[in-house]
Amino acid sequence: MISRRHLIALAPAFALAPRLAFAQGAVEPGAFVSEFAQKGIVDILAAKIANAEKQTRFRSMFTTSFDLPSIGRFVLGRYARTVKPEDLSAFQPLFEDVIVYTWSRRFSEYNGQTLKVGASTPDGDEGAIVKSTIVGNAGENFAVDWRLRKRPDGWKIVDVIVAGVSMAITYRQEYTTLIAQQGGFPGLITQLQKQVGDLKAAQPA
Amino acid sequence: MSISSLLRTSILLLAGLTASACATRPPATNPEAVAAYEEARDPLEPFNRAMFRTDQALDKALVRPVVKTYRFMVPEGGRQSVGNALRNLRSPITLVHDVLQGQPNRAGITLSRFFVNTFIGVLGLFDVGEEIGLPYHSEDFGQTLAVWGVGDGPFIYVPLFGPSTLRDGTGYGVDAFFVDPLAWYSRGNGAETWIQWVVLGGTYINLKDETMFATDELEASSIDYYAALRSAYRQIRASEIRNGAPPPMEDFDEFSSTFQTPTLAAKAASEMPQTSLTSER
Repeated sequence: MISRRHLIALAPAFALAPRLAFAQGAVEPGAFVSEFAQKGIVDILAAKIANAEKQTRFRSMFTTSFDLPSIGRFVLGRYARTVKPEDLSAFQPLFEDVIVYTWSRRFSEYNGQTLKVGASTPDGDEGAIVKSTIVGNAGENFAVDWRLRKRPDGWKIVDVIVAGVSMAITYRQEYTTLIAQQGGFPGLITQLQKQVGDLKAAQPA
Repeated sequence: MSISSLLRTSILLLAGLTASACATRPPATNPEAVAAYEEARDPLEPFNRAMFRTDQALDKALVRPVVKTYRFMVPEGGRQSVGNALRNLRSPITLVHDVLQGQPNRAGITLSRFFVNTFIGVLGLFDVGEEIGLPYHSEDFGQTLAVWGVGDGPFIYVPLFGPSTLRDGTGYGVDAFFVDPLAWYSRGNGAETWIQWVVLGGTYINLKDETMFATDELEASSIDYYAALRSAYRQIRASEIRNGAPPPMEDFDEFSSTFQTPTLAAKAASEMPQTSLTSER
């Protein structure tokens, strides 16, 4: 039986609880990934809406859940330190478009796959890596690791690693090779503009 | 033509070929380009790109039609079983390298899988091991060399064979002809060398069938498919060498939006000789 005295002793603990939860990041990294995937499946992949609407919803979810400014700088490698601010602001929206249109091309092929979230381990500067498996309905599955960082407004995804291949590292090695070959940053921008155009044209109706 | 002049001509030809095939290292005045060049570890890039174009042409003309025919003739479930059986045939190679890498637990898993899949899984057609908690993994001589501290060396692109590195390409040859018991068997029975070639061919078509979707996606999402493929190949190998652990990305946080560039004063202070600090330790 809980006495009145016990209740009084518990009161400060309750008062403290919300603040503690906030300090610890409130949401566990695994739960964050789980929620992200669930939202993606329900609101976008399995939703009975037009592809254009799926694209809009994905872009808003993608830009709020990913730390795109950081990823955009990372994929430029050492060029990120010397790039002119106006070149960087031309690059960021193009990079966003490349990923949005690359992913949205495949939305209509969704076939009931689910994401099974596994263990998470600490990583880098206040970050975590969450392991997960995409489980297909024919029993085929593959490993996806999510690299997260804690930002003032909560967890952000900074990289997706599919079967050992990091999206951020692959883009970085491709883009730094391209800049070197095109003899500078403007060459990359021109190529990206062309790619975005091609990807837009390849979208399903 | 005498032997010596023939020799001289071929050496000159080879020298000329290598000279024209080598990528020029960017000048030190362009540190960003130097960093990109060093990260790519691809000194034969122009030659490799030519090989890559040949590979893509052969892929379109030859490999794709074969894979398409295979897909048309054998249904999904059958192709899965072919893949399982080929993996099972490769397990002795994985076992040798589990041992050479000092991984007794993984060696135990490989050995148990081999027996379970061969005898219960009907010659490996069914992956029973996976169902009873013996997950598949693959090892090869390239991975063993990496564990022993050998770097991957220059990138090499071989038409039909695909992306590789000096270390992993050498490792593949050693495995295929010296480690694989099937190679020993087929050579020991002079007339049975066809067995090895049939398995190699089957492995090739199966690999293309399994990876075509992923490589097509990579091609569609990239501007420079060669550079993206080179990066993905190296990452897959690194991931296999780490036995599936996620890649470290120590420098990621330097690029984050919240990262503060160190002020010049702080940078100068950190570069000053810190005798008092080091002597205390």
